[in-house]
Formats: sequence, structure tokens, C-alpha cells
Amino acid sequence: MAWDISRRVFLRGAGLAAVGVGFHPSSLVVRAADAAQAGSRVLVQVFLRGGCDGLNLCVPHGDPEYYALRGAIAIGRNEVINLDGQFGLHPALAPLKALYDEGRLALLPAVGNYTLGRSHFDAQDFMESGTPGNKTTATGWLDRGISRIPGSAVMEAVAFSSQLPRSLLGPEPVLVAQTLATFDLRARNWRAEAERLLRAMYDAREDGVGQVGRDTFEAMNVLLRTPAIMAPPAGGAVYPSSPVGNSLRQAAQIIKAGLGTRAIFVNVPGAFDSHSNQLAAHTLEFTRLADALVAFARDLGGRLDDVALMVTTEFGRVAFVNGSAGTDHGSAHCMILLGGSVRGGRVYGSWPGLARSQLYQERDLAVTTDYRDVFAELARTQLGVDASSLFPGYTPGPGPGIVS
Amino acid sequence: MSVGSSFLGRGPDPVEIGPRVAVHLLNRIGFGARPGDVNRTLAMGLDRHVQEQLDAPADPELDSRLRGLTTLGYPIPQVLALYNADQRSIGVILDELYTAKIIRAVHARNQLQEVMVDFWFNHFSVFVQEGFTRYYTAAYERDAIRPNALGTFRDLLGATAAHPAMLYFLDNYLSRATVAVNGRLLRGLNENYGRELLELHTVGVDAGYTQEHVVDAARCFTGWGIDNVSTGGRFVYRPALHDTGAKNVFGLDLPAGGGKDDGDKLLDYLSSHPQTALFISRKLAQRFVADDPPPRVVDRAAATFLATGGDIRAVVRAILGSAEFWAEAFGAGKPKTPVELVASALRAADAQVTNGRAVVAYLQNMGMPLYACVPPTGYSNRGADWLNPSSHLHRMNFALDLASGAIGGVSTDVRGVVRRMGGNAEDARSVANTFSAEIFGKGVSRATLDAASSVAPGGPVSVAARVAGLCLASPEMQAR
Repeated sequence: MAWDISRRVFLRGAGLAAVGVGFHPSSLVVRAADAAQAGSRVLVQVFLRGGCDGLNLCVPHGDPEYYALRGAIAIGRNEVINLDGQFGLHPALAPLKALYDEGRLALLPAVGNYTLGRSHFDAQDFMESGTPGNKTTATGWLDRGISRIPGSAVMEAVAFSSQLPRSLLGPEPVLVAQTLATFDLRARNWRAEAERLLRAMYDAREDGVGQVGRDTFEAMNVLLRTPAIMAPPAGGAVYPSSPVGNSLRQAAQIIKAGLGTRAIFVNVPGAFDSHSNQLAAHTLEFTRLADALVAFARDLGGRLDDVALMVTTEFGRVAFVNGSAGTDHGSAHCMILLGGSVRGGRVYGSWPGLARSQLYQERDLAVTTDYRDVFAELARTQLGVDASSLFPGYTPGPGPGIVS
Repeated sequence: MSVGSSFLGRGPDPVEIGPRVAVHLLNRIGFGARPGDVNRTLAMGLDRHVQEQLDAPADPELDSRLRGLTTLGYPIPQVLALYNADQRSIGVILDELYTAKIIRAVHARNQLQEVMVDFWFNHFSVFVQEGFTRYYTAAYERDAIRPNALGTFRDLLGATAAHPAMLYFLDNYLSRATVAVNGRLLRGLNENYGRELLELHTVGVDAGYTQEHVVDAARCFTGWGIDNVSTGGRFVYRPALHDTGAKNVFGLDLPAGGGKDDGDKLLDYLSSHPQTALFISRKLAQRFVADDPPPRVVDRAAATFLATGGDIRAVVRAILGSAEFWAEAFGAGKPKTPVELVASALRAADAQVTNGRAVVAYLQNMGMPLYACVPPTGYSNRGADWLNPSSHLHRMNFALDLASGAIGGVSTDVRGVVRRMGGNAEDARSVANTFSAEIFGKGVSRATLDAASSVAPGGPVSVAARVAGLCLASPEMQAR
């Protein structure tokens, strides 16, 4: 463990040194250093858009009702990657078994919130604002979380997404990026002039457009002057060339570069809205997800101790198969948690059961853990903030105790 | 008719007709001004311009630009036959679809028509890469969306409901009645279309319907399917798959024994529902007026929707005739989506587009690939949702590349534009003033004008290209 700590310090120092190369002391470097000293733990949220079926992710093969309910799309007893006799991983998630056995990966089924109406958009909005039922909340829960950390460098929160996620909506600056590698102005033979004049335009503008322009130039400068950002994966990690793979590869680069990043949001569009042909869709998507998570853990090495990553989605799906070898919109889903300080190797939460009387509205897996309790736990452990008032109108419970 | 007599000045503060108002109109009912448009529109009269846009007469010049795109008119069976003969053929077909979209946005005289096609495709969104939707999408826009874009909402809704693209994308072609066989329930229903019909297409998620209504809405459409997904691709109704039981959807009672007409009656009911009028009017006002449109203009549009039986042209006219619409000419503007930004920059540079492939790649980087919104919600209609550093970098780079003529399939002659507009292409301030007047109605800030005017003379990239690039990458260009 001591080795891990020294290695961590070394990596962070290397990242900061790289920031300084060819770059005069400036507020950016100082702010990055301040942020890094204030705490180096990182919260990563991977959001699977579309409502990922938790019953197919963490398969309750020991529940007596499972096979009858799932019929043609059930995962066979000889296919499931058994964890504890009751639950097992979908076969495409088999690469995660080693992380589970090493105690760095945990599962939390039956997590959710009933105020969702089974609408993708509402359920995402409610989860990301952290205020189910209230559509007028102006900020996202992650924005509120990082706003309690001193400083407001643009690198403090990074979203790998084509759009600003609702979770990070609010006054804190966020670097939203799909690709960090080409984050530069393209003005061959007049780049310096273009940057100077465009900055003058955006500096003079007060509104949201002006702010996004200023954030863009700040991010550009940090990224261009941090060669460590472009470091290849370490530890022989191989990321799949899928959106989630590319995003987690870059998330690891950002973490390793030591730029003071505390929250990373990874947006994952994909075939999770599996109304039909669910088996094929999940084999593809789960393989991508598992390979990306394994590469991320290997790439980070000892730095994974500072990271807690959670995989979430807006809702789970109906407990029974529909008429198209798929599943319609349901309620509780399943979270995956990964990190050095995750007390892994366990399936958390209380299992509500799949008997008809145990299902929510006689169709969905019931909710036994509110997702805000998990968010609050990660906000405390990773961001080091007081989470008791993070969710207006809701006082989080003690949390499932997954992350130490 | 005098300028502004019917559309303008209805509010307490009549707006002053001038370049700024003309630019506002061109930005909102189309994809922005081309050089020369401001003066042309003012000379014609704003009322007449609006009326012409609502009428959308023939546009032979656009037709000739599209003539080379031979696959645009292919019926679905032909697309499928080509695909079954050679899987690569779909690449050409989609390229032509994308190119046509860009050419229309940039060159169509009936700009409002293109805005409405864009709006409705996004409202009834299908994801082009989802299975067989790929082979149906071009036909979907051409046959279901375009002919009804300024027609009635009921026709539009019906055309989407019965189109293979929608039937496939929201899985309804697989949905069939749940039946009991030997005492066991054989579940056949697929809720996907029934739910999105209520939530996204008609009454909206806050209307107050229940899960039971979703199930019954889905039951109405059991049997609405596709006649041979991979070789035919035509709508078919299969009575044997229909759930003939009684249904209740959000206040509509349908007795047992119905057939295909269960779906038709539900579409009738939903398309004339006050909540639909409100939901659609609000979304249209969001497109034309502001991210958070004033309730007055929404209510007025909704009243028009109900009074005219969902006449889209009348609803749009009501919005364009509101004081709230014209008052926006003097606000900070609504941030453009990537499609709006790209199309308006191409128009501002007086670009000639012959191939859209390179432009499509920029849109992808900005987070708005064409026809490729994965969730059925469609892309956000709120401009503010599109502002972020990554997208912004690509927006600025698009502008710089465009002005220096570095985008494939697109030709520009910035110096020629400046000269035609009476400016001096070798003088930075003259170039900046030209774009300020022609594209922004002189509505740019002093800081933007000064920055664009201060590019150094000489150098490998022409003064005109640099100044134009800066103007098109400016804060003012990001909003409409």
C-alpha cells in the first residue's frame, strides 16, 4: 500500500511538472496545483442512456421467478457468471469478474426512485438534478457537489459528452469534450492572431456565449500545455474503440495528468433502450462496457485508489419479457461501482424479489435503495463535501457503505 | 400593403423596421441571411416575405441543385433491393440524403419550409442507424414529414404513425395482442410507440396520463406493421395481431371489437387534444421565439391550433404575428444549434455547396450528427443546451475553415462577396463592416468589430478570409 501512495504522489508531481513545461507561471498552474492539494480523489459517473436492464446486468439467477419471467431472454444457468449463488454477471461482463474477486468492484441492484413516470427524459432529468419530481431545479447534483470544493478551474469537472450533461448544469465551469487530442484552433499560418482576436471578442461578452468562449480558450491552454494528457495507456491496458472506451481512456489520461479534476462524467449513448432483441444488443454493449472498465482499472494502476466510478442509468426495465424479445420501461436498475476504495466483491442492497406481489405495480423490480443515497456517499468520499443538503427536499441516508 | 401593417406593431411597442429586424426575421424563419438578403427583404417588405415563406412556392433553382442526387426519390423497395444486391449501396444513398439536407438549408428559397422539415423530423425523431430505419429514413422525411411540414398536424401525425421508419424505430411492427394460451399469458405487446406517442409526439409528458393509458395506447396499434421488413417496407395492418379488447387512453374510450381504426381514432383524439395544442405550440414557440417562450405567445398559438383543427401554417403565422416574436429582435438572441450555426455560416459566406460529406463531419464533432439522435426525444430545442467548450471549438474552427475555403464540397469566394456588397476586400475594417451590415444588421458589438478589423495586412491568408473567419466565429454568430 505504501508503494501505491508514493506512486500516486509521483504521478501527480509528474503531471504538474508537465504543466509547467514551456509555460510561464500563471494562474492556471497555480489553480491546478491548489486544486490538486485540496484533495486528489475523483468521482467518475458513467451514464448509460436509454434505461439499461439491471436484471440482465446483474442476473438474479437464484430467484425462483427469474426464469419464468424472462423466458426467451433469460440468461441460462450455465451461461451466467456466478457471483454468490444468488446473482451473476451477464456473460458479456465476464471480464469484470476478476475485479469483483479482487474486491474492487461491487454491484448494487434494486436501486432507483419511483418518481420517474418511466419517461427517459424525465427519469434522466430527475436523476441528474437529484430532485425527482421537481423539474424546476436549476442545477445538476454534480454541479452542486463541486461548487462546495474551493476553486473553479475549468478542469475541475470534465464531461466526455457531446453536450453538457444535466448533472453538471450550473454555475461551475465544466470542460465538455469528446476528443482532447485535437483541442486546438485550426488557423494555419495565423493561429496566434486568430486566438488573440477571438479572445478579445469573447472577453468582452458577458452572457453564456461569452462564458463558453472563455472556457474554451482556458481549456485549450491547459490541454495544449499538458503533454501528459496524451500519454498512452499504462499497464498494458487496451481500451475498446467504442465511445465508452474512448471516453474512459481520456478520463484516465485526465486523472493521471493531475490537473485537479475531481468529477468526471462519461456519457454513453448505446443500445440500452432494449424494447426488442435485447440479447444481441446487450452482448454488444456489455462487452464494450466491461472491456473499457477493465482497461480503465489497469491503466490507472495504483491511482485507482483515488477513484470511485459508478455506472448508472435512468431506470431499469420491466421484470418480464415483452412481445419482442425485449423489455419495456421499468423502475429499479443496477449500479456497478469500481475503485480502489470500493469495498468490492459483494452484491449490495436488499433484494426485493421477483414474485408478482413483490414487483412494483406488478411489473417492475422494486426499489430498495434511493440513488441519491449512493450519490451522497460518493460526494462525501470522493469530493469530500457535506452531502446532507446536496439534494433539496431530501436528506440522504447513511448510504450503502460501498466506498470507504 | 405597407411594411409591417399586418404582422408588425401588434404589441404595445411597435418595432422600428430596419436591418436588425430583417436579420431577426431571416434568422428565425430561416437559416440566416445571405449577403444581399437584408436589403432585398426590406425592399420587398417583411409581410410579403413572411407570406411568401408561408406559401412556399416552387423553387426550380433548388430543384436543379438537387437533380444530381438521383437516389433521393427512390422508393423503399428500390433502396432495399439495392441493399440486398450490394450492401455498400446504402452509403451512397445516405450521403445523398445528408448532402440534400445541407444544400436545402443553405440554398432553398423556401427557408421556412426547410426549418419546418428540420423541426418535425426532430419532433418525430428516428435514428438513422437503428437497424432497418437506415433504409427507410430518406423516404420518411420525403413522404411523411416534408409534404405535411406546413399542413395539418393530424396528417403529419398519421403519416409518421404508419411509416415503416417509425414502426421500426419504436418497435411497433413487432407489437401484437397479448393472448392466453392454455391458461398461460403470451405477452405480445410492445409499449414503445404507445408511450412515445403520448409523451413526445402529442400531449407531452406532463399531461397527466397514466401507465395504463400507455398500455392501452400501445394496444390500439397492435397489428400496425411492416410488410416484409427487408424486401418490402410498406405499411400493413394484420388483423390477427390486433388486440380487439376495449381501451381507454387519457379520456378516449374505445369499445371492444375495433381494428385498425382503434389507432386512427386515437390519432384523431390526440391530434385535437388541448394538451397537444399546448405542447406543440410551446415547442414551436421555443423554435421561433425563445428557449423559454413567453406564455402569451404559446397560448395564442395553442388557441389558433385548436381553432384551425391543427393547421400548422396558421399556428406558425400566429407566432410570427406576435409582439413577443418581434421583440426578440432586440434581445441577445437564442443560441444556435449546430445545424443552425453551420447552415447560417454557409449562407453568410455565400458558399456554394455541392457535397455535404465534409460538413456532416463538423456537425458530428459539434454533437449533432444528421438524422442520428439516438433517443426518440430528438435533439434539444433549447439553444442554451448546445453551448459547451468542445462544441464551441468546432464551431469556431468551422468558421475559420469555411472562410479560408478549406471545407470539401463547399466553395467560397469571400473577397468576391465583399466586392459585390460594395466593400474593399483588402481593407480589414471594410470587410468587417460589410459582414456586420449584411449578416448581423449592424448588430455586432464594438469589441467584435474592432477585433475583426484589426487583422494585420499581408501574410499567407488573405485579409478578407481572416476577417470573415473571425466574424463567422464571433459571439454574435453563435446566436440568432
